[in-house]
Amino acid sequence: MSFTLPSLRGLASRFLTRPTTLTTTLSNPSTTTQCLAASARALSTTPSLLAPPGAKSQKGPSKGPSKGGKPQQGKKKIKRGEEVRDPKMINMLSHFAVLSPNRIPPPLRMGRNRHLRHWTIHRAWLLFRRREREARERNLMRQHQSMRSACEELRLTAGPGTRDEGYLYRAAMEKKGVYGLHGVPIEYARAQTETPAKVAWNHDWKR
Amino acid sequence: MASLRGLSRPARSLPLSQLSRQTYTAGSIRCASSQADLSDLEDSTLTAPQLGPDEKKEFRPWKRAADRKVRLPSGRYQFHPPKYNRGPLHPVQSPPASDPIARDFVPGPFNMPRLKQTYQSTIASDLMTLAYTHVPPGTPQKESPARLRGWDGSSPYHKNRALRGPRGSAVLPLIERDVTFNNIPEITEVTISTYVPAAIKDPDHLLVARSVVLSLTGTTPDITKTKSNVAQWGIKIGDRAGVKSTVYGNAAYEFLDRCVHLVFPRIKDWRGIRATTGDRAGNLAFGLSPDEVKLFPEVEANYWMYPAKMLPGCKVFIKTSATSDRQARLLLQSFGVPFYGDV
Repeated sequence: MSFTLPSLRGLASRFLTRPTTLTTTLSNPSTTTQCLAASARALSTTPSLLAPPGAKSQKGPSKGPSKGGKPQQGKKKIKRGEEVRDPKMINMLSHFAVLSPNRIPPPLRMGRNRHLRHWTIHRAWLLFRRREREARERNLMRQHQSMRSACEELRLTAGPGTRDEGYLYRAAMEKKGVYGLHGVPIEYARAQTETPAKVAWNHDWKR
Repeated sequence: MASLRGLSRPARSLPLSQLSRQTYTAGSIRCASSQADLSDLEDSTLTAPQLGPDEKKEFRPWKRAADRKVRLPSGRYQFHPPKYNRGPLHPVQSPPASDPIARDFVPGPFNMPRLKQTYQSTIASDLMTLAYTHVPPGTPQKESPARLRGWDGSSPYHKNRALRGPRGSAVLPLIERDVTFNNIPEITEVTISTYVPAAIKDPDHLLVARSVVLSLTGTTPDITKTKSNVAQWGIKIGDRAGVKSTVYGNAAYEFLDRCVHLVFPRIKDWRGIRATTGDRAGNLAFGLSPDEVKLFPEVEANYWMYPAKMLPGCKVFIKTSATSDRQARLLLQSFGVPFYGDV
C-alpha cells in the first residue's frame, strides 16, 4: 500500500465490532472486563473451553464415510503431491483480510444540524472532563499543601518529653522500606467495583 | 411520512410538528410521574431554565439567517475528509479525530476502567503521601548536576562548540524527580511484542503471533524485522520475525487489569516480576511464556482457533510517567503486581 492514513484505528475498531469468531472477545476490550472475569470461571456444567465447539459433531460424520472406503462426492479431490492448508490458518488469514486497508468503510456522513448537535455534545463532554480533572488536581494540591504545613509544624516542634526540636519530623520523614519489595501490602490491591465482596480479604486462605 | 405524501400541497408546506401535534388540555399533558414527588430525583443539567419573554423575543434564528452575507451550502452538502494524508503543508487537511466525520473517528469511551477509577480515587493520593519528601521553605533549589562534558579550550575551534554527551553511552539517563501533586506516576502505555524466529522458515508462525497479539490488545499489530545477523541462529537483518502492538490510556489499564486479576493468579509457581527490571526511566517489562499467554481469557476462549504448537510467548513493556524504576515499581505494587529478588 503506497498511501498512509492518519490512523486506521477507528476504522479497525469499527470492524472489530463485527461478530466474527476471531474478534468476539476483543470486540471492545474496554467494556468486557466483568464478562471476562465471569467466563474465566468454569462451572461444573460449563463445557470445556479448550475444546472446539463442534469437535464431536465433526468427528462423527467424517468417520462414517471413511469407514465405508468411498471418497466423498462433494469434496474436491486432493492431488497426492499437494499440501493441505490448515483450516485454522485459513480462518486467521480471512480475519486479517477483513482488517486490511482495502476494506476500509467510508467515513460517517452527517447533515449540518446533526453535525452541530454532535459538536455541541462533544464540547460539553470535553468541558465535563476538564472540570473533573481540575477538581481532581485541586484536591491533590490541597492534600499536598496540608501535608506540607503539617510537616513544617512538626519540624519546628520540640518533644515529646525531652526530645529536641524536629525529632518527630525526622521520624516522619523516614522512608525505610517504602521502595522495597513490600512497600505496599498486597491486600491494598483491590480494584474498586460496583458490587464489592462482603468479605474483603480471606486471610485464612491456603493452597 | 407516507401519509404526508397524500396530503394536499398547502398542508404539506406546514411544518411536520404542527401536523402531528395533537390538542391536549393542560390536564391531560401531565403524566403520572409529573404529579409524583420529584424531590428525590437528582438535579440534571439537562433541565434548562424556562425562557423569559425578553429572551424569546431575542431568539430570532430567521433574522440571523437573513443577515448572513455569505450563503451557506445547501443542506445536502456534506464534507468528505481527504482519503490520504498528504503532509502538514497540503491545503486539504483531515478534521481532528474527535470529529465524527473524520476517517479515524473512534466513538467512545463507553466505560471507565476500574483500575483507572481506583487509581484516581485512591492510589494517586496514597502514592503522593507515601513518597512525600518535605522541602523546608527557604531551601535553595537543588541544581541538577552538569552531566554533559565541556571542551578544554586547547583549540580555538572549541569556542561555541556543543557539549559532549556522557562517557560510555549516548543516552542521558533521567534524573529522578520528587513525587508532588502534579508529578504522580501513572501508566501511559503498554507495548506487547513477540519474537518468533521460527517464522523465517515457516511464515505461519508469524500469522499465529499476529492474531494472538491482535486478540490480546485489540489493535492490528505491526510486524517487526530482525536487527542483527547471527548465522548460528539462522537469522539475518531484515527478516520478518516479530510482532508488536501498543495500547494507550484506557486500553492499557484494561490490559493490566486482566494481567493482574486473571492471568497472574493462575500462573503456577509464579514468584512475581523480577525487581531489577526497568530501563532506569520508569518503564518496566516482563515476559510471558506460551503457557502463560494461554491463560489470557481472549486466547483461552477460542484456544482451538490457534495451532497449539505455534502459540508464541511475549514480552510486555509497561511504560509509566515515573522518572525512576523504584517509583514505577511502587506504582505497579499498588496495582497488585508482586515483585521478587534483589531490589
